[in-house]
Amino acid sequence: MSKLKQFTGAGLLFPIFLFCLTTVYLVATFNIRTMFGADGGVGPKTMPVVSAIIMYVALLRVIMTEFLKTEPEEKSFQSHLRPIGVAIATGGYILFFVPLGYWLSTFVFVAALFLIFKFQTKRPLLFIVYDLAITAAFFGLFAGLFSVRLPTLTGGIL
Amino acid sequence: METLQTFMGGFAELLDPTVFLFMVSGFLIGTFFGAMPGLTSVLAVALLLPITYSIDVIPALVMCAAIFMAGMYSGSITATTINIPGAPSSMMTAIEGNILMKRGKGANALGHAALGSMVGGSIGALGLMLFMPLAAKLALLIRTPGKFSLVLFALVVIIIVDKRHIAKGVVAAFLGVMLATIGIDVLQPIPRFTFGTEMLVEGIDIMPIVIGAFAISEVLTQAQSWDLSLAETLNASKGMKILRRDFIPKWAEIKEIGVFTYLRSALIGFGIGMLPGAGGSMAAFVSYATARGVSKQPEKYGNGSQEGIAAAESGNNSMCGGAFVPMLMFGIPGDPTTAVVLGVLIINGLQPGPRLLVQQASLIAPMFAALFVSALILIPLSLFLFGPYFVKIVSLPKGLLYSSIAVVALVGSYVATYSVFQMTLALMFGILAYVMRNQGYSTVSLLLGFILGPDLETYFRRALSMSDGNPMVFLTSLDSLFFLLLTLVFVYFILFRKEKAATAESS
Repeated sequence: MSKLKQFTGAGLLFPIFLFCLTTVYLVATFNIRTMFGADGGVGPKTMPVVSAIIMYVALLRVIMTEFLKTEPEEKSFQSHLRPIGVAIATGGYILFFVPLGYWLSTFVFVAALFLIFKFQTKRPLLFIVYDLAITAAFFGLFAGLFSVRLPTLTGGIL
Repeated sequence: METLQTFMGGFAELLDPTVFLFMVSGFLIGTFFGAMPGLTSVLAVALLLPITYSIDVIPALVMCAAIFMAGMYSGSITATTINIPGAPSSMMTAIEGNILMKRGKGANALGHAALGSMVGGSIGALGLMLFMPLAAKLALLIRTPGKFSLVLFALVVIIIVDKRHIAKGVVAAFLGVMLATIGIDVLQPIPRFTFGTEMLVEGIDIMPIVIGAFAISEVLTQAQSWDLSLAETLNASKGMKILRRDFIPKWAEIKEIGVFTYLRSALIGFGIGMLPGAGGSMAAFVSYATARGVSKQPEKYGNGSQEGIAAAESGNNSMCGGAFVPMLMFGIPGDPTTAVVLGVLIINGLQPGPRLLVQQASLIAPMFAALFVSALILIPLSLFLFGPYFVKIVSLPKGLLYSSIAVVALVGSYVATYSVFQMTLALMFGILAYVMRNQGYSTVSLLLGFILGPDLETYFRRALSMSDGNPMVFLTSLDSLFFLLLTLVFVYFILFRKEKAATAESS
C-alpha cells in the first residue's frame, strides 16, 4: 500500500511530468528553422538541446532517488485542499477580471479568500466591511496613486 | 574618483521629498515583510515590480534598497521575541536572541541585532560604493569566453549551494534556462517554442515568474501550512511589554563583542553577498560560525550570546551591499532580492555592466545611498520609535494579509501590460512554484536560471562563433580558464571538502 502511495505521490509524479515536458520541448527544438548556417557549429537549437539533455540526466537521478525511498514523505491530499481552493478562486478572478470589472471581481475574489482563510466568517458585517476595505484600498493604490486604468463593469465585455 | 563623486551625489538625491518618502515607505514595508513570519523582502520587492512601471527609476530603486536592508534586519524581531525567524537569514539570531528574551533581555537582544545590522549594513553599502569602480574595471577585462565561464560559475554555485538536493537544483535551474529560451532567439530573429501562439513570440517576461514564484506560491503555501498553534503563539505576543530604553546596548557589552567582530562579520557577509545564490542565511551562518570559532567565550554560544547575534546580523546585513556587485556588473544576482531588483532595472531599460557605471551612475547612486542611510539611520531610529510595537505586527490576521497580497500580485501583473495573459502566467508559475517548494526544488534556482539562461547562451554561441566552433577557446582564454578553475575549487570545497569533514567527524 505504501509503495503504491509512493508511486502515485507528487514526489515521483512531478519529475515524470517534467520529463514529459522536456520531451515536448526537445521535439519542438527540432522544429526550429535557422535562417542561416549555425556560427561555429552552434545555432538556436544548441542550447535547448544541451538544456534538455542536462534535464533528462537530473530528472532520472531525481526519479531514481524517489523510487528508492523507503518511506514516502508525501503530505496528505487534505493538506492541499485550501491551496487548490485558492488556485481555483484565482483562476476565476483572472477569468472574470475584465468582463466584471475590478470592483465586482475583486470583491468576490477577496470574499472567496476570506472564506478559505476563515477570516471573519462568523461576523458577516465585518466580513463585508473588510472585503470592501481591501477592494477600495487597492483601487486607491493603483487607480488613484499610480493612475492605472482598471477595467470596469460598464467598460468590460458584459 | 569621478564615480565616487557621483555616488556621493546620490545622497543629495535622497533629499528630494518624493525620493525620501519612497525610501521611508520602502523601509517600513521591508520591516513589516521581514518581521512577518512567512513574508520576506523578496516578496515585498516582487510585489513592487509591477508598480515600477508607473514610477520613476530612482524612487523605484531607492525603495528596493530600503526594503532589502529593512527586511534583512527585521527578521531578527520575531526571531528574538517568539523564536520564529521572520526571514531565514535570522535563524542564528533566533538561537541566541530567544534565550535572552526568555531571560527578560529581549530588548537588549533586539538592540544588539539592530547595532550589528547597522554596522554591517553600513559597511556593506560603503564597500559597494568603493568596490564598484574596481569591479567595473575588472569587468572590462573579461572577454566573451570568460563571460560564459563566469555565468557558468554562477549557475554551478547556485545549484551546489544546497548540496542535499543537487539533482533538484539542476532541474530547477535548467527549467528556468528552458523557459528563457521561449521567444525570439538571442542572436537570430527566429521565434522558438511559441507552439503557434503569438503571445509567446516576445518570450516570457520576468514579472509573471517573480510574482508567481514569490507571491502567488506564498499565498498557496500559507493556505496549506496555516497553523492554529502558530496563531496562538502570535496572539500571546500581544501582551509582551518592551521598553525603549532597554534597546540601547550597554557599552561594556559592545566592548566585550569587540569592533573586530563587527568588522570581520561585515567583510564575510560582503564577500558571501558577491557569490551568486548564497544569500543572507549563508552570510549569517558563516559569520556566526567564524565568530564562535575565534571567540574568547565560545561557551556562551547557544546560550544567549550577544556576540553571536552581533556577528550574524552584521554578516547578513552586509551581504545586501555585496549582492549588488555581481548583479550590477555582470547581471548575475547575488541573492533572490537582487534578482528581482535586476527585473526593476531591466523594466526601466537599464542594462547591467561596466557601462552602467559610466553612463548611468547617477541613476543607481541614490540606491547605494538609500542602502547606507537605511542601515545607519533608519534601523536604529525605527527600532527606537516603533520597537515596542514591532512584535504586535505578527498578530495581524492572515486572511486579511494574504488576500491583500493576492490582490496586489494579480492586479499588479495586469497593470504591467494591461493583459490578463500576464495574470494567467503568474498563476501558472505560482502553482508550479508551489509544487516545487512542496517537493524540495528551489524556486530561487528557477528564477536565477531564467535570468542567467540568455547570457549563458549568448556568450557560449558568440565565443564558439569567434573561434570557428573550437571549444578549446574556453581553456585557452585566461579569464575563462580562471572562472572554470574557480568553479572546480567551489565544487571541491562545497561538495567534497565538507563531505570529508563530516565523515571524519562522524567516525
